[in-house]
Amino acid sequence: MPVIAGLLLGLVAAVGWIDYSTGLELSVSLLYLIPIALGTWVAGRSMGNLIAIVSAGVWLGADFLERHSYGHCFLPVWNTLTLAISFLVVVALLASLREANEGLEQTVARRTKALQAENAERRRTESELLHTLDDVRQTHAELKRTQFQLIEAAKTESVGRLAAGVAHEVKNPLMTLSLGADYFLHREAENPDEAQLIQDMKEAVRRASNVINVLLDYARPRPLQRTTEDIHSVIENSLALVRHRLNRQHVIVVRQFDMTLPPLLLDRTRIEQVFVNLFVNAIQAMASGGTITVRTFASTQRASGGDSPAGVIIEVDDTGGGIIPENADKVFEPFFTTKPAGEGTGLGLAIVRRIVEIHGGSVRLSNRKEGGARVTLRFNTEAKEQP
Amino acid sequence: MITKRILVVDDEPGVTRNLKLNLESGGGYDVFAENHATNALTAARIFRPDLILLDVMMPGFDGGDVAARLRSDPLLRDTPIIFLTALVSNEETDGHEMLSGAETFLAKPVDIGELKKTVEDHIRR
Repeated sequence: MPVIAGLLLGLVAAVGWIDYSTGLELSVSLLYLIPIALGTWVAGRSMGNLIAIVSAGVWLGADFLERHSYGHCFLPVWNTLTLAISFLVVVALLASLREANEGLEQTVARRTKALQAENAERRRTESELLHTLDDVRQTHAELKRTQFQLIEAAKTESVGRLAAGVAHEVKNPLMTLSLGADYFLHREAENPDEAQLIQDMKEAVRRASNVINVLLDYARPRPLQRTTEDIHSVIENSLALVRHRLNRQHVIVVRQFDMTLPPLLLDRTRIEQVFVNLFVNAIQAMASGGTITVRTFASTQRASGGDSPAGVIIEVDDTGGGIIPENADKVFEPFFTTKPAGEGTGLGLAIVRRIVEIHGGSVRLSNRKEGGARVTLRFNTEAKEQP
Repeated sequence: MITKRILVVDDEPGVTRNLKLNLESGGGYDVFAENHATNALTAARIFRPDLILLDVMMPGFDGGDVAARLRSDPLLRDTPIIFLTALVSNEETDGHEMLSGAETFLAKPVDIGELKKTVEDHIRR
């Protein structure tokens, strides 16, 4: 501040010297407005007032030194006072302007700050909203999953009750028929047709009984008995169980196994049942022969949500007619079948899904681009049993 | 040849009649059929069977109740019982002894060959 004051007073002195040396008086007096304006603008009202009063004094001093003759002795004082008042008015105006400007700047700064705060708040709210939206989506998905599980559980319970009722009401008459057929079978048949007739009855009883057994198995899953198993050994065993059917229908099996896969914690018998059901389905889909490709590999891609643990994928491909896309989900529902009457219970894939899911895995059916269907099974390496 | 006595308890007359016919037709067995679970204990006391074929699901008084009463009778407690049930599949029973008490369960509809074999095994014990 003293430096500014010094410079401005120097400027005032310079104007005073011009005033004294030129003798132009009032014409030069306007030059005093330069240090006054500078002082007011740079350092404020007080500095402006100081420079204005000093300027008026310097103007009066220069006037005395020039020895002007006035008509009245009071006139120079009057001129100086007028000039000083003019200077002070300029200072007042400039200072007001400066203060207004400063106020404006402060207001702008305040508003900017408020806006920035508002923006930050908005961004925070937006992020919170997005977070809440994520939570809502997650809850919704969870709710859907729970709802699905509840529906499945209700279905299972209904199927369980139905199965028990059907089993009791149907198996007793079946037993009467079966024992009757057995009785006649052990007697001398009067002709070969009669013996065949009784065999047909036995076969019919066996088929009906089998349907009810499958229904009972589906309705009342037994607890898992897990052991550490090499999935390829389970697959090979299941293939051995359907070997006769494979040969009879000229179905070739291609194995594309990743032998480095880790062992899995499985109920071997139940998983064999899964593969037998899948292989039988594939064989039935290829009435005039074809190829079943069994492929195993480690799961590298993470499922949606990104939190699925490491797993093993098994794909079973056939070269049959594939599946109508709208049936891709329905095929896993109990009693859904696309097979002719008498050829399927409609429970094969439902049992597959049930067993895979209680192992904590998943199963999907899709069509292959090359033709035929693909069943994709996924088992987690860190297996967890589902309720 | 000593004829062995078998008591068949099942609420389905068709089942008991056919079991009697099949078991007796081969010779070696004398079968008494009882269609009312509540009469099973009395029938067993009178008939004194070497083995009992007992249906699990019967109205009012089920196979478990009948077996409990038989087991509490000093004269009958050692008589082997083979349960016949519609509520399990063949794979579940598969000739194995199931549940506590080491009872044998056979899934309905039973194969007469398997039934005869199981009966013979139990009577021989």
